Amino acid sequence: MKELEENIVQAKTLEDLEKVRIELFGKKGVLASEFAKMKDIAGPDKKAFAQGLNKNKVALQASFDAQYEVLKAQEIERVLKSEALDVSLYGTLAQKGALHPVMETMDKIIDYFVALNFAVESGPMVEDDFHNFEALNLPKFHPARDMQDTFYFKDGGLLRTHTSPVQIRTMLQSKPPIRMIAPGTVFRRDFDVTHTPMFHQVEGLVIDAKGKVSFANLKAILIDFLETMFGDVEVRFRPSFFPFTEPSAEVDISCIFCEAKGCRICSHTGWLEVLGCGIVDPNVFKAVGYEDVSGYAFGLGVERFAMLMHKIPDLRSLFEGDIRLLEQFR
Amino acid sequence: MIITKSWLHEFIDLSTVSNETLYATFNAIGLEVDSIKEIDIDHNVVVGKILSVEKHPDADKLNVCQIDVGSGTRQIVCGAKNVVDAQYVAVAMIGAVLPENFEIKHAKLRGVESEGMVCASAELGLPSMGKGIMILDESIGTLEAGRALNTYPQIIDTIIELELTANRGDCLSVYGVARDLSAALDIEMRVFEPNREDKVKLGIARVAQLRSEGVLDADLYYKLASIEDITSYFLLSLRLAMVGVEVKGAIESLLAYATHTTGVILRAYDSTAFVNSEDKISIYPCSKDKGIVEVRGHSICTSIVGVNQESSVKAHAGSAKVLLEASYIHPDVLVEAFSQTTFTSDALYYKTSRGSNPDLEFGLLFLGTLLHAYAEFNCYEGSLTVLAKRKNHSVMVDAGEISSIIGMEIELSKIVGILHKLGFKINKMSEATVVVVVPDFRHDIKHVQDISEEIVRIIGINNIKAKPLIFAEKPRLNSVTDRYKAKKALRHRAVGAGFYENVSYVFSDRVLLDKYGFAVTEEALDLANPIAEELNTLRSTLLINLLSAVKRNVSYSIKAIPLFEIGAIFAEKREESEVMSFVFSGQSESESIQNAGKPTAIDFATFTKKVGAVIGNFELEPCTYNYRVLHPYQSANIMIEGKKRGFIAKLHPTVQEAYGIPVTFIAEMDLEVLLPTHINAKPISKFQGVYKDLSIVIEKSLQYYDVAKVLQGLNLDLLKDSYPIDIYVDEALGNQKSLTLRFFIQSMDKTLQESDIDSVMGQIITTLQNKCNATLR
Repeated sequence: MKELEENIVQAKTLEDLEKVRIELFGKKGVLASEFAKMKDIAGPDKKAFAQGLNKNKVALQASFDAQYEVLKAQEIERVLKSEALDVSLYGTLAQKGALHPVMETMDKIIDYFVALNFAVESGPMVEDDFHNFEALNLPKFHPARDMQDTFYFKDGGLLRTHTSPVQIRTMLQSKPPIRMIAPGTVFRRDFDVTHTPMFHQVEGLVIDAKGKVSFANLKAILIDFLETMFGDVEVRFRPSFFPFTEPSAEVDISCIFCEAKGCRICSHTGWLEVLGCGIVDPNVFKAVGYEDVSGYAFGLGVERFAMLMHKIPDLRSLFEGDIRLLEQFR
Repeated sequence: MIITKSWLHEFIDLSTVSNETLYATFNAIGLEVDSIKEIDIDHNVVVGKILSVEKHPDADKLNVCQIDVGSGTRQIVCGAKNVVDAQYVAVAMIGAVLPENFEIKHAKLRGVESEGMVCASAELGLPSMGKGIMILDESIGTLEAGRALNTYPQIIDTIIELELTANRGDCLSVYGVARDLSAALDIEMRVFEPNREDKVKLGIARVAQLRSEGVLDADLYYKLASIEDITSYFLLSLRLAMVGVEVKGAIESLLAYATHTTGVILRAYDSTAFVNSEDKISIYPCSKDKGIVEVRGHSICTSIVGVNQESSVKAHAGSAKVLLEASYIHPDVLVEAFSQTTFTSDALYYKTSRGSNPDLEFGLLFLGTLLHAYAEFNCYEGSLTVLAKRKNHSVMVDAGEISSIIGMEIELSKIVGILHKLGFKINKMSEATVVVVVPDFRHDIKHVQDISEEIVRIIGINNIKAKPLIFAEKPRLNSVTDRYKAKKALRHRAVGAGFYENVSYVFSDRVLLDKYGFAVTEEALDLANPIAEELNTLRSTLLINLLSAVKRNVSYSIKAIPLFEIGAIFAEKREESEVMSFVFSGQSESESIQNAGKPTAIDFATFTKKVGAVIGNFELEPCTYNYRVLHPYQSANIMIEGKKRGFIAKLHPTVQEAYGIPVTFIAEMDLEVLLPTHINAKPISKFQGVYKDLSIVIEKSLQYYDVAKVLQGLNLDLLKDSYPIDIYVDEALGNQKSLTLRFFIQSMDKTLQESDIDSVMGQIITTLQNKCNATLR
């Protein structure tokens, strides 16, 4: 018995142990031959012999199981070790691309307003004078047209200079109340360090019954929006002029680069201009045949937001597909 | 619009207003401060009185001056020619520190001692006032030798540039800005006290006449005078330099100064241009077209009101009699009329087109007062005027309406107070309503919302409390929103598949588009004023722009360049549509341990797999596009739901070479079909199916696509799927190739018997033998 147990413990591999198992528990094994002896033992001795044999069998089985566990664990460990990798070699294999920072900023802006139940609206890039100017209280020869250098087509068509014509189209196609944004590509004939001939705007428009929509309402949504986009900033409103709103304001945030102490980016004013807004001018409502309504509108340049939010130094680099810039936004 | 603080001070007392308050107020009332320059001059720069000037014994261009600087006489060597004309100058004493840390030290110039420097304006940090040194006069106050220059408030002024919005013509003058400030700061305007003396005791009507023809849209106001001996006027030159107004000649300077101050359009004529055959000055304004008022003299059109003045008739130093004119024309009328002419406008048009000051008498009185002070000015009594018929615009103002537009309760008395200060006349109607008469100079105010803006400006937007809008909601998820979301999902998938998002101009190069066989906007519909040659038309493909982006990245040594773009393109008649395009250039993946630093170049299969990961399933058919950027033997139509929706191809090697880029693959497809559509589930079989492989030998020229078409034509119910798994060519096969296909056979309603499978395979083999001339391998 001692010797048998010793055989089990001495087994160093699963193969050795398997040999021991066959020797012990196999059909022709030691135990089988011991049990075979029972038929030759008679009477009262038989029971005692059987009991002794069973007890030994249980003990041997237990030793075997214990040794199996140990060797199995060793075997797994050996296999695992043999599969060892220098995992640090593979950290750079990921092959994700990246969204364009301007488009990604546009997504953020749109998502904010969609969450507030604004509809997204769109319109054509090639526009006519009525939708781009006339209906927006920018009659021909209005000096404010100087502000917007326009691309014209030979047949008199033009590339929209802002997303505001989408407001006009939406108003003409639907009835108030209106709650919409118009994200889109716009064009101005200007090309230098701070201007590209094409850029992106998001414009918003809210219209309800007369007396319902006020400047105070406009302030509320824009302050919340700018805090959502830029974090903990001060928001300042300055009276301004746009032909299609009255009263009009420009909106500044406290400079996020110098914490409003004054730096090169904010021209040492401590403020960054980010938005234009106002109460919709009655002449705009007249142009689309709306009566007894009130509303506010706002518009912003997406490139400016993207550049400020991500500290991108050069506007023109945004339109060059430069992977060195894009890969930073993975 | 540039103004200075001391100039404003002439009309509104700013002695108690700090610069910080001033800037904040300007910004708050919508006159945005663009830049600020506070002049600062070292106290060691003093007034010097020149006692003598002698030529330097040893240098032609230098003068040796003896100058009284209060504390004594200094000898200073000066290089400026105009020092000989000067009596009072600015002297930087030894120890003075000028801008850019330039310290004045004792010097010896060609052997002559020099104890200081006579300064030019720019050397003191003042704007440049032309060549030579700055010559002072008493227009800035009493000149005493030795008095520090920084004790003259008009010299150490603050120059403020305001960015005016297009509607605020009324602030295109120092006076107009002061008026707006007066309302905002609640400081009364100073009363202007003009010198009205007309020295010639003869009525203007005795020597001049004014008769007009047609309906005039302009106001005109004339005075006649002789002007002699205009003295130099340092303050005037300094201020014009500070505000960047450049004019030549003494009379022109005075006119420009008076116009910048008052906002009234002022011109001066040599009266001889108007003298008629009866030797009388005859002014003959006439108007044929609305908004165009010509002022005719004797056989000459001397000026067009608000537009220009004939240069030959301008008053000059030798003019015996000068006709002074103030004019006004409503900007809306002028701008519309002017745009239909081919006239050239002068510098004053900027003011007239935005609204000059209609208070003509004020303008001429201010000019007259200046002339009295700085010239021998003999003016005839009275004036000649013609006024256009204009109605004062009035607006009914209801406190409740204004409160609801602003979103804050504002009392009528407050509204009235603000409007009164802004120059509106008020007529009370009821407890809550007034009718206000808009002053002429505010042509931009037309209705109650314009009035609200004035109220908002003066009370300050930042004093309006933000209030959330309670809105009767209904869901606003419309088709455009859905489309936006679907596009966003596509973009995210493209990023997941390793592509970078590109954004490029919707412009392209007409020649290049044409060269590569892409659509070109019809000539008659194309851009009239492109910004650059290579951006001279609308793009009809995104690929040209993407290839340019690839080229740039190659120049930045990027080796794997996967880009995508979703954007608008335009067909021949400018029909706008959206496409999604991909380009992959160079290595198929980044260099890594996995590929031993030698990744394979991008190939058709890898590219197709990546595009498929973004846009979903599609089939490929032989290419039917004729674009010359496509490789003729590695290009395909992208088929989605049986329809041609775009192409995928290797870039043509000649184009690749033209761009100087490595192996490149391109794809472009209609965005519409990539947007999600509604899907109905098909029933799934519960019974086991079997896979069967078949190798056939066919002509090399036969494409898999031809084989697939034949198989599709079989319409076998049990044949659920088939696809190619191997292609094999060797010399023994000659002009043929071996194609191995795998079939999946399954029934919807029973377990397949061997005989069912044999039947399907039998039909397949027979058909392929017959229709594709295939043999079994």
